[in-house]
Amino acid sequence: MSETAPARGAPVATTRRAVLWVPDWPVVAAMAEAGLKPDAPAAVLHGRGMLAVSAAARAAGVRRGMRRRLAQRACPEIAILSHDEGRDARAFEAVAAAAEDVVSGVEISRPGLLMIPADGAARFHGSEEALAEALVTAVAELAGCECAVGMADGLLAAVLAARSSTLVPVGQSADYLADAPVDVLPLAAMERRQREQVEDLVGVLTRLGLTTLSQFTALPAGDVLARFGPVGMWAHRTGRGEDVRPPVLRRSEEDIAVSYGFEEPAQRVEQLALVAAHVAGLLDAALLDAGVRCGRVRITATTERGDVLERVWRTDVGSRAGAFARHMTDRVRWQLEGWLSGTSTGPERAPLTSLGLTAEDVVPLGSEQAYLWGGVSGADSRAQRTLERVQGLLGADAVLAVREQGGRSPRDRVLALPWGQEADPARRIEHPWPGRIPDPAPATVLPVPEPLEVLDAGGAPVMVDRRLGMSAPPTWVRRRAEPDDERAAAVRRHPSSGRVGRQDGPAWGLPRPVEAWAGPWPVVERWWSEDASRRACLQLALREPDGSPGPALLAAFTGGGWVLEAVYD
Amino acid sequence: MSNQTTQDASQQERLSRARAALKDVEARIGATREAWERPALPLAADLSPLLPEGLRRGQVVVVDGATSLMLALAAEASREGSWTAAIGMPSVGVVAAARRGIELSRLALIPHPGAQAADAVGACVDGMDVVLLGPSLVLSDADRRRVASRARERGGVVIAAGDWPAAHVRLEVERQSWSGLGAGDGRLRERELTVAVTGRRAGAVRRVRVLLDADPGMRWTRPGARVDVDEEVA
Repeated sequence: MSETAPARGAPVATTRRAVLWVPDWPVVAAMAEAGLKPDAPAAVLHGRGMLAVSAAARAAGVRRGMRRRLAQRACPEIAILSHDEGRDARAFEAVAAAAEDVVSGVEISRPGLLMIPADGAARFHGSEEALAEALVTAVAELAGCECAVGMADGLLAAVLAARSSTLVPVGQSADYLADAPVDVLPLAAMERRQREQVEDLVGVLTRLGLTTLSQFTALPAGDVLARFGPVGMWAHRTGRGEDVRPPVLRRSEEDIAVSYGFEEPAQRVEQLALVAAHVAGLLDAALLDAGVRCGRVRITATTERGDVLERVWRTDVGSRAGAFARHMTDRVRWQLEGWLSGTSTGPERAPLTSLGLTAEDVVPLGSEQAYLWGGVSGADSRAQRTLERVQGLLGADAVLAVREQGGRSPRDRVLALPWGQEADPARRIEHPWPGRIPDPAPATVLPVPEPLEVLDAGGAPVMVDRRLGMSAPPTWVRRRAEPDDERAAAVRRHPSSGRVGRQDGPAWGLPRPVEAWAGPWPVVERWWSEDASRRACLQLALREPDGSPGPALLAAFTGGGWVLEAVYD
Repeated sequence: MSNQTTQDASQQERLSRARAALKDVEARIGATREAWERPALPLAADLSPLLPEGLRRGQVVVVDGATSLMLALAAEASREGSWTAAIGMPSVGVVAAARRGIELSRLALIPHPGAQAADAVGACVDGMDVVLLGPSLVLSDADRRRVASRARERGGVVIAAGDWPAAHVRLEVERQSWSGLGAGDGRLRERELTVAVTGRRAGAVRRVRVLLDADPGMRWTRPGARVDVDEEVA
């Protein structure tokens, strides 16, 4: 393991690259969206600290990581903007497009940082200086923001060079890096989690007395791996000026959009279906002309009131020959039928003024992504065809594709969408979700909770107070009787049930004894919104009438009564 | 003695004539290996006592009393690449299905087929490998026979809840006991099912005990005693 590190300046595998860096990108993007002038003091707040600070605010003394209160004290007129990773990435597309005007391929490492292999581009523009000048000019003119360009061998050296707008001569990147402090290592980490790990590593190195990169990279690689693990190894290689991976270039393909404006607002489905077929044919022809194929199609319908009805559908990449137009026609019809008949949600019904289809995820023909082992198998395409047939039979919403999403109750943890439609999960699955009902998950989750009676030994309902105290241990559980259960209905009609006259409440089944129980577990969710819920959950294992152990239930106490959430059957 | 040998010879002759006739018919009609003779779909190892031959293609398996047993039967096949459809099961727990090993990208739910249940089930048996049917589907006996013969022809497996006359295998959950709950403490951890297996081919009823939710947090420490090992609560 004790392989010694190569001497400084020993050849390592690197790519000559240019890095285009827009300083304080999150705040630049947020200011552009908020309509602020570039010289206004502003900062982006994420969590408890400032994530990025504009130049004017920095001049006033606001720093990254500062709390809101401190920042406002340093600069009272500062505009504090919210953090939105999606906006950062979206807005950076303009910068990438501007850079692509100058060079043929770029890699977006993270919003704010672009990477370009410099060799060919520099030859094309005459020199590296000319390339840098062209890049800065294009971004300033087309995207309207200032940027810095640096060039060096290897990732870290290039990122550092961009921060000081230097062009490091070929072969001198190792020397350029040698005297840099170890604090620069996180700059080369592109993902947030990786950056946090590298920042931790840098903290350890500083405390160990290793302050410059040359001191760190002089350590034997094997020892670094043994002591600091993969992160340490990554930092060691990066610090030596090596490239951990070559740049991955994207070739941007524009989304292709076609649309149709109705001369007179249209409302009947048959009329719309004809137009849908026409528009789908246009899109198909446009895709064919461009020699591309798409992964998703966005269908947009605009109503007279100005509302927009929009859904994204995945298209079957495997079966394109001629069927595309027909598939798209079906989907447009489903979407509009569901909306016009009121079965699916959407804006208020109104005649449509225009219908548009946009092809997204456009890739050149022949370069679609296939499975790792071979293409789409016969069984897969057969199943897809089957489901499309059932969708044609029962309607689009009758066939559901399911995904897991974040959440606490078993019902919240499922995202069900019509087969073939795409949407983002409302709740991220990676978040911790404290208070989640523990595994094993129930096999029957009632789509709508059903009333339940949880009784104590004396037959009185068990109550849970605000401090999660239960009035008595649960002893009996009564579920609703089946509607055709004659026996329960007869029991209910009998005078000994204590009711007189006609009763409209639910008929309850026979009470069943509780074998064991656990809880109550409080689940208080989304108190700030309209779908707030406040529940106390209970797991109950029941006993069969003959004394043998029976199924288990998940019950919840909410709003003064019990409901059955799920059955562990 | 000689009488018996002539009888044997005549039997042999009849058998060979019958085989030749059968071969003739096969050659004329072009019968090859049937779809249901293909290798059985895989089944998780701890469920193999229930169906020792595996999940044979072309079968109708009835599961009475446990949705999770239906999911568990389909899980291993789904993990190996089969497609699964769940028809008429509006309350199936998707998270439970995923935890049991069903690949959600190859699972389609048709919760409310309504009056067109027969068509939907027929289409799914045609195109999918494993079809789970809920208990309250509108299927007549003739529809069920048609679905069963379709499954036999296509080599799919139908796992139905509730009742299905002339099913190949019937798994009836007679008893399920959960452990892990106390009086206000603990949580559901392990479940043991006692399943009565009846089959068209098998004679007597077999009773099999299956540990369906095994919890690695519960370990045997000394014979006869189970204690909870400390673990991070999920």
